[in-house]
Amino acid sequence: MRIVIGEDEALLRAGLSHVLERGGFDVVAAASDADELVQAVELHRPELLVTDIRMPPSHTDEGLRAALDIRRSHPTLPVVVLSQHLQRRYAIELLAQPTAGVGYLLKQRIGDVDAFCDDLRRVHDGASVLDPQVVQLLLARARTDHDALRRLTPRQQQVLALMAEGRSNAAIGRALSVSERAVVQHTSHIYDELALPPSDDDHRRVLAVVRFLAW
Amino acid sequence: MARAFGGALLLLGIGGVVIAAVEIALFWPLEGPVWLYSLFSLAGLVYLTAGLAAWWRRPSNHIGAIIVLSGGVWLAVALVNTDVTALVAVGLILATGPLAVAVWLLHAFPSGRLRSNVSVATVVAAFVVTFGLQTPQYLFAPRSSGDVLSIADRPDLVTLGLDLQRVAGIAVMVVTAVVLFTRLRQSAPQQRRVLAPLYAYGIVAVLVVPLGPLIEPVFNLSFLGVTAGQLVLLAGVPVSFVLAMLRGGFARTGEVAELGAWLGGTASERMPLVNALRRTLGDETLVVVYWAPERRRFVDALGQSISLPVPGDTGRGIVEITLGDRLIGALVYDRAMNEDPELVRSAGRVAAIAIDNERLTAELIANQAALRLSRARIVEAGDRERRRIAQNLHDGIQVELVLLAIGAQELRHAGSAADLDVAATQLRNGIDDAASHLRELVHAVMPAGLIERGLTAAVEDLVDRMPLPTNLVVVDVEEPVSPTVGSTAYFVVAEALANAVKHAGATTLSVRLERTESQLLIEVADDGVGGAASGAGTGLRGLLDRVDVLGGQLAIDSPLGHGTHLVAELPCGS
Repeated sequence: MRIVIGEDEALLRAGLSHVLERGGFDVVAAASDADELVQAVELHRPELLVTDIRMPPSHTDEGLRAALDIRRSHPTLPVVVLSQHLQRRYAIELLAQPTAGVGYLLKQRIGDVDAFCDDLRRVHDGASVLDPQVVQLLLARARTDHDALRRLTPRQQQVLALMAEGRSNAAIGRALSVSERAVVQHTSHIYDELALPPSDDDHRRVLAVVRFLAW
Repeated sequence: MARAFGGALLLLGIGGVVIAAVEIALFWPLEGPVWLYSLFSLAGLVYLTAGLAAWWRRPSNHIGAIIVLSGGVWLAVALVNTDVTALVAVGLILATGPLAVAVWLLHAFPSGRLRSNVSVATVVAAFVVTFGLQTPQYLFAPRSSGDVLSIADRPDLVTLGLDLQRVAGIAVMVVTAVVLFTRLRQSAPQQRRVLAPLYAYGIVAVLVVPLGPLIEPVFNLSFLGVTAGQLVLLAGVPVSFVLAMLRGGFARTGEVAELGAWLGGTASERMPLVNALRRTLGDETLVVVYWAPERRRFVDALGQSISLPVPGDTGRGIVEITLGDRLIGALVYDRAMNEDPELVRSAGRVAAIAIDNERLTAELIANQAALRLSRARIVEAGDRERRRIAQNLHDGIQVELVLLAIGAQELRHAGSAADLDVAATQLRNGIDDAASHLRELVHAVMPAGLIERGLTAAVEDLVDRMPLPTNLVVVDVEEPVSPTVGSTAYFVVAEALANAVKHAGATTLSVRLERTESQLLIEVADDGVGGAASGAGTGLRGLLDRVDVLGGQLAIDSPLGHGTHLVAELPCGS
């Protein structure tokens, strides 16, 4: 899979390239700032873009803004942004994208190489992926605000978290060691309880759940 | 200059006392009513003293000078009773002079100036009557009576002159009465209350002299008694006028102009502003207080806050002074000395810029002390923070890294591939933990959200992590504030929320950020136990200092049992 990465920190850029090459990806360009990133995408037409949020020159959120710009001219290009820390807004801005194939992961996920590569492949395949820690944060916040959420059983809350992370019903079943049918029952109960519109599309499902949690 | 002026007045006074003493010494060996002769000299001294007092207190008002002149005339008139020929001549010529000066005084009071042509004409007429029509009295007096200036003994001319003088004198007084009455009708009620009895008294005192011979038989009085009465009555004139002038509420434009001249002088020779105002307003108890806008109260010259007397309660009056539409201070004065607040106000207006300067000085003095303390605390807080970070790095991350290094070393001794796998996973988890601890530490020093996305995002982040339901309202903060204002605002919210969670026993929290044109308003409230005070912990103290550095305000309202409400305002001009 042809991939372009954006990371300003040289060591980390090399490390990331290394990890991805080992994971079977083809890193065609590694940009060190937002402009380079845009140029690299135009030049190489990659199948996936992975970028750090914080980039030069101001070291704020240039990486994210560049990624969103690129998505506007290439709406189908899957994009994963990496963040040093949790920030609800980043997740929400990314998920405001009309089309599937976005991911928001904490940088520390790179350390778990297999899971990281797996997440990248899922985004490439059209899923929307949120870091579990982001989901935990959203859930914790939502629990204090929404009575409906407190009425869910612990198992249902686990299912909801995995839905928000962008897992399919089959993946949720595997993660919780239950049948896919049991997962479907849980999800329909969750839809009823939270008054969410049922959806089979993974991206829309994440969108609905996150919108509910972040509201 | 004030000293030279005071010295000159003092010399005048001493001169008057010497002359009066010499006169009385001259009367002493004479036959006749020496006490009555002496009364003339004493009346002169009374005028002189009253006049000098008025002149000293109101240098730019001519009333004092007129009364002093009157005192001189009185002393000269007294000479008529000596037995020195030349001195008697002087006394004879000036004999009725005091009455002319009294008329001048009546017309010139209280401004010291003759304000109309009628007044000028009347006063000139008075002088003509007293000096011109006086001439027959000594030129045509019987020689035997010792009149040294007599050129012929013509009793008919003397009588004619006397009648003429009396009639003309009464005419002058009638015109004077009309002028004064007109003036009374035009004055403000509170001035009228002071002026009316004064004018009446002056007119009666003057009229009693020409009408003296008519009064004598009516009240069956001796000539000596009537003369003594006239003298006392006339001596009362300067005393009452000067008192009224110094204490009455007259529009003393002259004094206020003088205050303006004082303000224009160079600082080195200036007396303190309060003294200048006291002198201008004739109120030794006058106090200037300054408005400290950020403390929302009045302070004295040293920046200490003071409470104002309740108006209408203590006889103290308060006039607020504004510069433009900005309150800068107030004058606290004795209402007995200045009945009319308008005069105090106009003096305040003239001195407003000087008062504003002194106010700034007072503010500066007060702020300087506070600034020193707060600077010391900021340095302390910075050191404390560094110590804490160093401690955390040392106790936390450093220890973790050492343990991880040992763990990496151990990998070599892993027996089987399965053991190696377990050990490697452990090592990775350990590194994850260390990284996460480091991230927390960095977050506490300066949150990444604040750097990357600014205040609103960082506060949202903070609210996301609150263990209690926290309501966040943000109004117009999207326009970025400066990094300093942003981080100060962030730490205010963070500290306030942390306190609410730790100490308040609250069940819900709320945060509100609002950006107005000139400032950022921060409110943090909880429904907890209350009782928080800014002096209580170093945390709140540190917040106050941070806010202070930016020239902002921080207030905590925390009644016991009714939650805590913190409001901070940070200036941020756009």
